[in-house]
Formats: sequence, structure tokens, C-alpha cells
Amino acid sequence: MTAYIEFKGVTKAFSGKPVLRGMNLAVAKGEVMFIIGTSGVGKSVTIKHLIGLLRIDDGEIWFDGQRIDTLPERAMAPLRKRIGMVFQSSTLFDSMTLAENVALPLRKHQRMSHAAALAEAKQRLAQVQMDDYADRYPAELSDGMRKRAAIARTLALSPEVVLFDEPTTGLDPVSARRVDRLIRELAEKLGVTAIVVSHDPPSIFGVADRVAFLYQGVVHAVATPAELKASPDPVVQQFITGQSSGPMETPGF
Amino acid sequence: MTGFITSLGSAAISAYRAAIELWLVYVGTISGIVRGLQRKGARNRGEVWRQLYSIGNRSLLFIVVTLGFIGMVMTYQACLQLGRVTGDYSQVGSQFLRLIVSDFGPTLTGLMLATRVGAGIAAEIGSMKVTEQIDALRMSGVLPIDYLIVPRFVASIVMTLMLSILGGVVMWRAGGLTAEYSFNVNPNTFYDLSFVRFRHVAMFVVKALAYGAAIPVVAGFCGLRARGSSEGVGWATTAAVIGSSFAVIVLDFIISASALFLTGGDL
Repeated sequence: MTAYIEFKGVTKAFSGKPVLRGMNLAVAKGEVMFIIGTSGVGKSVTIKHLIGLLRIDDGEIWFDGQRIDTLPERAMAPLRKRIGMVFQSSTLFDSMTLAENVALPLRKHQRMSHAAALAEAKQRLAQVQMDDYADRYPAELSDGMRKRAAIARTLALSPEVVLFDEPTTGLDPVSARRVDRLIRELAEKLGVTAIVVSHDPPSIFGVADRVAFLYQGVVHAVATPAELKASPDPVVQQFITGQSSGPMETPGF
Repeated sequence: MTGFITSLGSAAISAYRAAIELWLVYVGTISGIVRGLQRKGARNRGEVWRQLYSIGNRSLLFIVVTLGFIGMVMTYQACLQLGRVTGDYSQVGSQFLRLIVSDFGPTLTGLMLATRVGAGIAAEIGSMKVTEQIDALRMSGVLPIDYLIVPRFVASIVMTLMLSILGGVVMWRAGGLTAEYSFNVNPNTFYDLSFVRFRHVAMFVVKALAYGAAIPVVAGFCGLRARGSSEGVGWATTAAVIGSSFAVIVLDFIISASALFLTGGDL
């Protein structure tokens, strides 16, 4: 497998507390990779390093043959056109309508005029069935609708890689499965590489090509969903079966 | 003892880093203004208007009421003390106006705005920080300082000057009414401009502009440092009120001392 995205020996600590301790992970082009693990283990931290929202303490991160962890902030803009991110809490801007939210990256990254960006934004919203709400503000909408609009905003730049941070958290089961289907379609129809942080078993076992299980600051196991289910590793089994007692050490519990 | 020294050193390093970050926010704000001018299109014009309204119009009543009452209290106390010592009220109004122009007008307005505007800016930016909206802005190709602090910086400079003028006038007028009705001071004696010099007006303008620049930078910096959840936003808001009030007082001292030095003590 040729790695399109690669984390090599990545370490990261916050206020002296290590989160990632030499993590290695390789993701192939067009792959849907899920990162799973307990809360606070560093899943979101891992993907934020890929777009420079956080900086690693040590190690290397490579994307499409280029080392990116050493890039300065001003050099991150082209990268952020190619790698989009759907945040956990949607993160739509409260003072803008949905259309304006989606238009913002088009105006800034692609230098589109305000009117052209708004027209494009409405088309993007239509792709997630949100065009009827284009002139509404985020506060007027449900969590699921905001999540869909946030996905439209991320996809507006047609990124090659999309990072999803718990995309189904807080959604009803129907909306969650629609998001799953969208992720799968992005990979199959558009060849988009997706890295998804998730706790949601139906998503993990229904959508992922491979799953990376993060435990104690390193990738403890990488496998297909079927291999993971059949894994004899007691730590993996405790996590995927959701048992409260077992060999797994969970910080705070 | 070792623990005390360690914590002292840690606090010093944190303070040093915070000072560097604050400086970077300030430099980033100035750079953002330059970038905005170079773009010529002024795409943030709508946001500047919104902030002018938010910082200026919405502070109007607050400034008028607080500075009006402060003007009344100060004149009342001044007349009371003068009455006990000399009974001569002839210079109350003119000296009070000189003080308002050289110091109290902009400084008290600045302090009031530091609480109202500083808290609002820190709470808004802090909320955006903890809900990852700042990260989303960066992902959208927007520099957070350009989008969040530059419009507030421009609006705050304009509105602090405007509100200082209004606050000063209200203070003077409220003081005049107090002197007239409580101590029978002749209005023609009170409303006397003869002690006000150009240097006092220059100090008024410089102070108002300096406070207007400092408040959004300090408050924005506190908001951008918010961590965690609502508790982090609360801390950021408190820090913004303390920090921007402190900035106003320190700037007041620096500008007053500089003016004293430049005029050879003839203020």
C-alpha cells in the first residue's frame, strides 16, 4: 500500500501530559479510515495535526509525498483547500446564514465574488438537501441540519481529503446513517479520502475500509472492520463490545 | 522553598509568553488593517458598521448615565470641600473642565467601555474559540484576527473618541447643574473655557485613541486564549475586563507622564 497520508512517530503533549506517544498510521488514497478509541485518547488531536490546527511535538506527518508538519501557518492555506474538516460541533458561524457560511471558504480560498460564491453555496447546500434553508441562521436549525450544512461547507472546496470529527454524534439514527452514506459516496464516487473519528459502531462497521484503534497514545491495532471484530486482542474486544470491566485502562475511570 | 521558586518561575514564564502573544495579536491587528487597505474592496465594511453600532450606539446610555453621575458627584464633592475651606467657587467649573479634557473624559469613558465592550468581545471570541469556530475560520482561509479583531479595533477607536466627547460634555453639564442648584454657582462662572489649552485637547484625543485601540486587542487576546468550555469563556471574560481596565489605567499614566515631560511640567 502506498501511503497518501502518513503519521510517523508522532508525539504530542498538553501541559506536560502526553497524549500521543510515537503514533504511526498510514492511510491510502481513496480509503475510508476510521480512528476509534476512548474519549481523550487523542483521536481529534491526531486529525487536527494534519491541517495545522495543532502542531506536533515530535515525529513527522506526510501528505501526498510532502512533509507538512514543518510548514508555517501561512503555507497551510493551500493544504486546507485540499484537506477539509467537518468539526464535531458543526462550527457554523452564528452571524452568517447557511449560504454565507458555505460561501466563505469559496470567497477566501477560490477568490470568488460574493454573488458567485453565494450561488455556488446554494448548489452545495442542495447536495445535502439543505437548499431550502440557505437563508436561515444556524441558531434556527436542528443539530442534524447544522451538521449537514457544515458538511456542505467542507465539500464546497472539493477537497481530496475530508476529516470527520465524530460526524454522527448527537444525530438521530436516520440522520446518522445518511451521513454514513454520504461519507461512503464521497469515497466511491469522487475518490475522496476520508479519516473519520467515531464512537458509533454502526458507522464504524458499516462504512470503514479500515479501522485504527488508538490506545495509550499509539495505534494499538489497524484492521478491516471484520478483522477487528474477530480480533483475539482482549483490549480491542473490550472496546468494541463496550464492556465496562476488562484489561483496558481508561483515564478518569 | 524549591516549590515556591518553581511556581514563581512558572508564573513568570507564563506572563512572558502572554505578553509575547498579546504583542503578536496587536501586530497582527495592525497588519490586518494594512491588508484590508491593500485589498481596497473593504469586504469587512459590513462587520465594521455592525461593530460601530455594537460598541458605540449600545454603549450610549451606559456612558451618558455613568459619566453624568460621576460628574455630579465630583462637582458636589469639590464644591463641598471648597465651601469648607475658602467658599470661592469661581474656578470650580473651569478647573473641572480642564480635568475632564485632559484626563477624566477619555479615561472614565475608557474604563466604562473596558467593562462593557471588553467583556462582550472576550465572551464572543471565547465562545467561538471553545466551539472550534476559530479553527473553522482558519480552515475557511480566514485569518481570525482579520475577521474578528480588526473590525472591532477600527470601531472601538472611532467610538471611544466619540463617546469620550459625549461623556465629557455630559459630565461637564451634569457638574454645572449640580453646582448651580446645590451651591448657587453662577452658570457663566462655571462654564468657563479659559483654562483649556490645545495641549489638553491633544491629550484628550491621544488618550481616547489609545484606549480605543487597547480595549479590543486585550479583550480579543483574552478571548483567543479561552480554553475548555463555558468556564473557560467565563475566565476569559473576567481576564478581559481586568486586563483592559488595567491597560486604560497604565496608558493614562504613560500618556499623562509623557505629556508632562514634553510640556516641561506646564500642564
